[in-house]
Amino acid sequence: MEILEKNINNIDVVSLSGRLDAYSAGDLEKKLDSLFEAAHIQLIINFEQLEYISSSGLRVLLAALKKVKRQHGDIKLACLKPNVKEVFNIAGFTQIFNIFDTVETASKGFENA
Amino acid sequence: MTVTVTDVLIELFKTACVVIAFTYVLTRTKLFTDVLDKRFTPVNRLILIILFGALSIFGTYGGVKLPSDAIANIRDLGPMIAGITCGPLIGLGAGLIGGIHRYFMGGFVAVPCALSTIIAGLLGGAIYRFKRGEFVAVWQAILFAIFMESLHMGLTLLIARPYEEALGTVKEVILPMNVANALGMAIFAFIVRNLITERRTAVERESFRRELERTEYEMETARGIQQSFLPESPPRIEGFELAVLNLPARQVGGDFYDFIPVSENEWGIIIADVSGKGVPAALFMALSRTLVRVNVADNITASQAMQKANRMISQEAKMGMFVTLFYAVLDSEKRRLKYVNAGHNPPFVVKKSSGEVILLRASGIAMGVMDDVSLEEREIKLDSDDIVVFYTDGITEAIDRGNEQFGEARLIETINQNADLPVKDLIDRVKDDVFAFAQGQPQYDDFTLVILKATQG
Repeated sequence: MEILEKNINNIDVVSLSGRLDAYSAGDLEKKLDSLFEAAHIQLIINFEQLEYISSSGLRVLLAALKKVKRQHGDIKLACLKPNVKEVFNIAGFTQIFNIFDTVETASKGFENA
Repeated sequence: MTVTVTDVLIELFKTACVVIAFTYVLTRTKLFTDVLDKRFTPVNRLILIILFGALSIFGTYGGVKLPSDAIANIRDLGPMIAGITCGPLIGLGAGLIGGIHRYFMGGFVAVPCALSTIIAGLLGGAIYRFKRGEFVAVWQAILFAIFMESLHMGLTLLIARPYEEALGTVKEVILPMNVANALGMAIFAFIVRNLITERRTAVERESFRRELERTEYEMETARGIQQSFLPESPPRIEGFELAVLNLPARQVGGDFYDFIPVSENEWGIIIADVSGKGVPAALFMALSRTLVRVNVADNITASQAMQKANRMISQEAKMGMFVTLFYAVLDSEKRRLKYVNAGHNPPFVVKKSSGEVILLRASGIAMGVMDDVSLEEREIKLDSDDIVVFYTDGITEAIDRGNEQFGEARLIETINQNADLPVKDLIDRVKDDVFAFAQGQPQYDDFTLVILKATQG
């Protein structure tokens, strides 16, 4: 899995590609933790290039969400492929994550907050 | 006959090779490993002094006689090696042997030559002390040899008389002796460096192997403990057949299933999948399984029981751990299944009468995500020969070489084609199909499959 990160107007956009599974979940966890340590707690995760997510991937995202929420930050998700969205649906994670069709609408979500 | 510098160098190098071959053998002996571990005794000290002293004498005899009667030699090599590997005492001892021997051979350079050899051993020992017994780097060994031989030449010029003759000798031997001794030292240092690295690697490998063995043992124990959390065999339920498959991908896993008697005619059936894999998942599995079990009771509904269990799990859920869980209460008399779905892959019912496949979806969220959740409770009637398939995503997400998933459709297909088999055989068929599909790819996630079939009633 590849993880790319850029900062746009104080919002970090983390773009994932490939498979987010037990093997790659640790990499994402480290990346997100390093952002939190630098007090970056407004995040958009761009799933456009992500082919697959497993429960290990959901765990990392949930842990991250719990961390930023404690500091009144948020993580918004954008551009989920249907099969990835289905994993969120089944686990009920659509109830706790804000999911957007595009990165732009996700960043507007931060502006309106 | 004139002797060129190259000839001298080649001869000296031959002698040095003998010294190196000898020291190489020495480095493979217990004597030398004792030295590396600094286990010195009077006996091994004495042996080392004699051996390196003998090498020094060999260096003298293996020298090249020059037209001026001076001898280009590598007499200092033995004592230098003795000093830097074994310390000043053995260096001095070897130097004394080589030096005194040289002194009695006489000649106008006897005194400076003898003195140099003794100093070579002492200086090597000084380096050993300075480095606190740590072996020198190859380049340091080379520098030492060059410095030592230059000192040797300096002493010759200073002490040997007549000066003109001494100068002539020095001019003849300075290059070959520097090169030959430096080369000898370099090769020796290289051998010892390698030996030290090799020994360190061997020690690390051994401790790593032991650690691995211990972990393996602990994991086997953990596996046994985890297996004991799972029902030994499915219960006999009047009018139903029940079979189970549970294959963790690693020694311990995060999947679990359970059968809990709720009331006289009711059995709770649970299938669950903890996020992640291996030990963290197994620990969370043990916690979740217990908290679910204690909350199941006959005086509350399935959704109330699971909501209570969720609150307890959620309060313990650190690191984002969560568990997807499907809980069904089978009433064997009314042939009815009440169920709640906490974020788990929906099990499905294959209806015998219509061939219809019904997914057991119900709104909910995985356990451990939030303290307060609402889990919808639904129910479905079961008729004769209806089959209920509960599974974890390890089965449907098993991939072939092309990364394609086994998927829900293939699972349903396998069940449909073998619906008439006893459930035990049906389970085996699913297992075979998944493994055949995976084409020998390693099992990536835990497999758990529970199949319930209503028999003629």
